Amino acid sequence: MSESRRNFLRAFGAMTVGAAVAAPAAAAPAAAALPSSAAPAAAGTTAPSPRWAMVVDVGKCIGCQSCTMSCIYENAVPEDSFRTIVSTYEVQEGGRTAMVMLPRLCNHCADAPCIPVCPVGATYQQADGIVVVDADRCVGCAYCVQACPYDARFINHHTGKADKCTFCAHRVEAGLMPACVETCVGGARIFGDLADPDSTVSKLVAKGDSKVLKPELGTRPHVFYLGLDDRLTGKVEGEPTLWRPRATESHA
Amino acid sequence: MTILEVVNVSRDVAWLPWAVQYFFLVGLSVACFFMSLRGLLRGAARERGFARDALIGALACGLVAPVALLADLHQPGRFWHFYAYPNLGSWMAWGAFFIPAYVGGLLVYAWAVLRGDLAAAGQGDGVLARLQRLVALGGAPAPRLARLAAGWTVVFGLLILLYTGMEVMVVRARPLWDTPILPLQFAATAVTGAAGLVLIVARLRGDATPAADAAAARWMAGGLLATVLLGLVWLGLGLTGVAETHARALASVAGHRAWQLTAAWAALATVLPLALLWGRPAGWGWIVGLLGLHAAWMFRWTVFIGGQTVPKTGAGLYVYQLPLGHDGLLGIAGSLGLWVFVFVLLTTLLPPSPPAPVRPALVPAE
Ligand code: SF4
Ligand code: SF4
Repeated sequence: MSESRRNFLRAFGAMTVGAAVAAPAAAAPAAAALPSSAAPAAAGTTAPSPRWAMVVDVGKCIGCQSCTMSCIYENAVPEDSFRTIVSTYEVQEGGRTAMVMLPRLCNHCADAPCIPVCPVGATYQQADGIVVVDADRCVGCAYCVQACPYDARFINHHTGKADKCTFCAHRVEAGLMPACVETCVGGARIFGDLADPDSTVSKLVAKGDSKVLKPELGTRPHVFYLGLDDRLTGKVEGEPTLWRPRATESHA
Repeated sequence: MTILEVVNVSRDVAWLPWAVQYFFLVGLSVACFFMSLRGLLRGAARERGFARDALIGALACGLVAPVALLADLHQPGRFWHFYAYPNLGSWMAWGAFFIPAYVGGLLVYAWAVLRGDLAAAGQGDGVLARLQRLVALGGAPAPRLARLAAGWTVVFGLLILLYTGMEVMVVRARPLWDTPILPLQFAATAVTGAAGLVLIVARLRGDATPAADAAAARWMAGGLLATVLLGLVWLGLGLTGVAETHARALASVAGHRAWQLTAAWAALATVLPLALLWGRPAGWGWIVGLLGLHAAWMFRWTVFIGGQTVPKTGAGLYVYQLPLGHDGLLGIAGSLGLWVFVFVLLTTLLPPSPPAPVRPALVPAE
């Protein structure tokens, strides 16, 4: 696709997104992030590459899993697999009980451990920060699945290749929001260009109170969380209550 | 504060039992190869029987291991991508070059040291004898080639041990894998398993001798003691918290009943063969041989399959149930079946050593 045509689509996409999400006020900040970076490109100037990122306002997430569902439909994610999911915890403290939601997805790490391990260079980072898998090259060795500290990757049982969230790169390229952002009921997922100081994500991250998951690993995630309890940023030490077909712990 | 995990993702095991089979077989092959060197390159005649059985073990495992590895790829038809687009920053990419170099070297070495035996076996008129003569290509000793091939295979054997260990060790995302002791543990358990394999091979071929059994027992005792020592160091570093990676590794599994059971089982699997080696009751060769193989296999199963049941973000453990098909039981049985096939092929070509004095290895008669 030629650059100008892509730029046109970007601008066009940005307009449609704007129209599509105009009604729910909660989603407005998310939608606003994209046009600001798309606009210079549409004007035909050589814009600096964006650095896509997401801010998740945990307090706004209602745990409805709309994002989970829309991602599955948008990306044809096979049964039993997820590119994103809202981890849900029941936290009891001081006689009070609360539900805590933690939407999880690929963090599009700036120092992504999934990239150097790939034996054939199928996993790489685009200039815009999105970590993608070249499906034509991937041999399905699952080394990247092991190396990702966030359990964000899996082997797609239909394609036999590594699969993960791409920030809906195909939609972003067309100037649209990632599907999960567009369908987020609580307006908890905010997507935009971190390279643009005027974008909503930049402003939110600049406040300095956002957190990332497992910061000690130095992966420099680009999904930032607002209002997240420190006890949930790593491997959550909790009681598993998930339904498990034969709930005996066994591996040997 | 208590946290109940109500909704979360559960990830499937992505390195399948095929990977366990690969790491098991390739480890056995390299260790068996090292065991064969002394007896076949310059050992006394009495060491030759043990060395030949070790080499047969090395060949059978070395030829089947790459098949298991290929089967672990979810896109096996694309194996050529490893050579067309290598990312040399990845240990796995290097492995793709080390494996053929090792197996190729092993085949040349085996041919060079065994061609005399092949020619001797191919004296008759039958199809097999003709085949043996054909493969032997005259059967004259080829000591220089043998040494050259042995040297090459030593280098690539060591590189196989290095890369298989490092490939797993560098995965920081899995604390259980991310310990510098892991490559050594793989090597020590490979020696244990290989010694067990040689005991079994000798019994299957009916050429077990006290001298060969004693050599296998020495190797196995060494492997087991090294495994115990490394296990104690691992535990010590984890318990005292001296090494952060070990403490993380221990913490990731210590609280789970399944893992406590596994640890007890592993301890038993190491101590029991040691005790049997000490006492050597009747029939010890079979039992110790199988226990040695079990120790090597179980270690890899625990590391790979067990390691992948530890969630990276979630609570508890993922449940793993061995599928019955290609991804599970059938895969394990299939690689075992292939091993038996290759073993039968090799032992048909190379019948058991003659009992009486044989030519002293490859030292040319000067
Ligand atoms: S979250 Fe995992 S898959 Fe995504 S970029 Fe980071 S390491 Fe790679
Ligand atoms: S599964 Fe594909 S993307 Fe992942 S490491 Fe292997 S070849 Fe690379």
